[in-house]
Amino acid sequence: MTLVAAHLYKQFGPTRAASDVSITLRTGTVHAIVGENGAGKSTTLRMLGGATRPDSGEMTLRDAPYAPQSIVDATLRGVALVHQEITINRSLNIAENIFIGNLRSYARPLGIMKRKQMATVAQAALDRIGVDISVSTSIDRLNLGELKCIEIARAISSNPNTLLLDESTAYLDHREVDAVLRVMRELKSQGMTIGFVSHHLSEVLAAADDLTILKDGQFVGSFRATEVEEGEIHRLMVGRDLTHGTYPPRASPPALSAPAILRAEKVAVGRELNEITIEVRRGEILGLAGLKGAGAEALFAGIVGDEPLRHGFMQLAGKNYHPSNPRAAWKHGIAHLPGDRGNEGLIAGFSVLDNLVMARPPRRGPFFDRSRARAMSKELIKLIGIRTSGADAPCRSLSGGNMQKVVLGKCLAVGPELLLLNNPTRGVDVGARVEIYGLIRQKAAEGLAIILSSEDMPELIGMSDRLVVLRQGVIAREFPSAEGVQEHDVVQYMT
Amino acid sequence: MNEVSGVNAGDDTVIPVGGWKVPRIDLLRRGFPLIFLVILITVFTIMSPRFLSLDNLSTVLEQGTVLLVAALGMTFIIMAGSIDISVGAIVAVSALVAALTADTLGAWAIIPAIAAGALCGCINGLLLAVGKVPSFIATMGTMVVYRGLVLYFTRGAPVSIDDDSFLGTYSDYSWGIPHSVMIGLALALLAWGIINYTVFGREVRAIGGGERVSILTGISVTRVKILMFVLLGALSGMAGLLQGARTMAATSQLGLGLELDVIAAVVVGGTPLTGGLGSIVNTMLGVLIITLLSSGMNMAGVDPYLQNIIKGAVLICAVFVTIDRKKIGIIK
Repeated sequence: MTLVAAHLYKQFGPTRAASDVSITLRTGTVHAIVGENGAGKSTTLRMLGGATRPDSGEMTLRDAPYAPQSIVDATLRGVALVHQEITINRSLNIAENIFIGNLRSYARPLGIMKRKQMATVAQAALDRIGVDISVSTSIDRLNLGELKCIEIARAISSNPNTLLLDESTAYLDHREVDAVLRVMRELKSQGMTIGFVSHHLSEVLAAADDLTILKDGQFVGSFRATEVEEGEIHRLMVGRDLTHGTYPPRASPPALSAPAILRAEKVAVGRELNEITIEVRRGEILGLAGLKGAGAEALFAGIVGDEPLRHGFMQLAGKNYHPSNPRAAWKHGIAHLPGDRGNEGLIAGFSVLDNLVMARPPRRGPFFDRSRARAMSKELIKLIGIRTSGADAPCRSLSGGNMQKVVLGKCLAVGPELLLLNNPTRGVDVGARVEIYGLIRQKAAEGLAIILSSEDMPELIGMSDRLVVLRQGVIAREFPSAEGVQEHDVVQYMT
Repeated sequence: MNEVSGVNAGDDTVIPVGGWKVPRIDLLRRGFPLIFLVILITVFTIMSPRFLSLDNLSTVLEQGTVLLVAALGMTFIIMAGSIDISVGAIVAVSALVAALTADTLGAWAIIPAIAAGALCGCINGLLLAVGKVPSFIATMGTMVVYRGLVLYFTRGAPVSIDDDSFLGTYSDYSWGIPHSVMIGLALALLAWGIINYTVFGREVRAIGGGERVSILTGISVTRVKILMFVLLGALSGMAGLLQGARTMAATSQLGLGLELDVIAAVVVGGTPLTGGLGSIVNTMLGVLIITLLSSGMNMAGVDPYLQNIIKGAVLICAVFVTIDRKKIGIIK
């Protein structure tokens, strides 16, 4: 029951999303599809799963022709697709979420649900994928990784022989990624064939038997995971070797005795952050490690004035600083790149220019100074290397990496003293990452103080001068220099 | 630098970056108000040759002015993703204030009338921006209160306006053009300028495009929201004054149901209820469509009992064509 696809083509408008992609999912193995953003990974997976119909090409499933017309069609043939986005409905319970597409089969006449039976079958599905979640748990208490597991349980409730996971782990943190990988291994041991799409190379190498590399919609090749090195994969994905030189060399960081630009003394914010003291100096990149909810986001919310301090105080360049809203923070020269690009970072329907100058629109009295805005955005587009057809193109037309560069540009446009970065390369492809890293490092060298919070451990270690590990709202460990720190050194203080 | 390739625009739509083209459906969406207006004029001209006469058009413009002035303000509100259904009531309040002060202040009654409207709008804005009450609910409540105020003070009896200086200023003609139309067009120009050339206009649009993004980017969302409701209130005040001048009286029934025509005009003009987009030119087209539809149906002798059905159907049809279905579900 091998799923074989040969010479798949898919065109959206004038753009080739997938070109001559051939892929073979061997029975009972895990097959990863890797590539940069826009390489055609999702498109390929969606074609296999019936969500997108290829323009041309052949597919066979267990040696029989396979041309699914829809996701339902593919499910009936035993191929289940887990979408990239979390599609859990929080007003339903776990069992209802698992059987959302199939609720009718648990209905008595008049539509009354057979709750007990549904709960039993749902629990069996959760047990089968080996996650420790009880169906009676309230859905609000699950983290993203657990929600993803519920979606996997939903997918396997139709008893598929092939499971397709789309970028399942892009938004999950360390612990959550591990949970999903465990589920994949468990399903594989039960003979399930798995295809998955991912950005995270280390995770790919940890879980995959085979991998297929795509680049700009082109098929590069398929390999056994044991046959290729990580550097080689990088090179094939991007066209250059990135394992060395992903992170720009550190400039000599400022002395620890240098005065801090921002000092937060015993600050507590919301329920997450408990009385921590932290400071950052000019020209320094301070890294914040920690699981989701460990306090980094709360600290940022406190610094930008999005949430009030429950306790403690802050000083900016030696003067007391208590922002009542984000507007005050920007006025004080604190720029903030939020973690959720789509909902907090930029307005995708607006143009590149609109977003770039949003924080401090150039003005003449009450009037918007369009010509100066144009000049500013032209300069920023060049400085940051935003690949766009022009300043007036809507951000929606850009790739994830370029959208993130726009958010970064919006921050730099105000000439900040302090820059807060929350997962600046989340969902950003490798090539754009390197450019973003270079820019961040350059800005630090020019004297900008930066606080970087990231779930990407290599990034955090590679970019930070100094590293603070947060656990349950307090500082669990501080590394005065991130140079030479190993990933497991940090992770052990996180959990 | 300008190396351009296809990029993924979310689910499965890929937009070419190079020559960023407007998809065909978007052209239909954008051109719809104009196309519709042309069709409307053609149909009514065939049904009633008098429809295109200068005399009739002048009447239509005068009728449409009250709607236009209020719709200018509503464009800002809808662009920011909010709604205000107390417009009709604010118009009644301002007309009453104008009527009560016209005797002593003459044409200067414009000041209390606009101030009353602005105050009503300010209350709406505070409820939304500070009280965090969704604008639909907040203005539904204030609609009843404002209308109730008018009823309370008039006891249901009309207050007539007969001050010559007032009527001469707001309901007379110069060079054959009604003063109200001149005022309406001047205000339209002003609103157009605010939307396109001021930072405030951009901030209103940004709030509609993404409120959370706007807050985190340091836009003073509270202030902008209050200001835009004050603006709508002031414009509704002006609309009330013009309506009072036209009918030479303020009544408790004045402007009843006007909010529906105002919202319909903005939406039919192509400004989506979901926020982030909007244009005064489109609102003007929408106002023309709504006004011509009413007066055209009358002239063409359409059964008056049938007219509401047609008007409602037209509104639904316009929303059906122009709405961006990806953004449904975020009307605040």
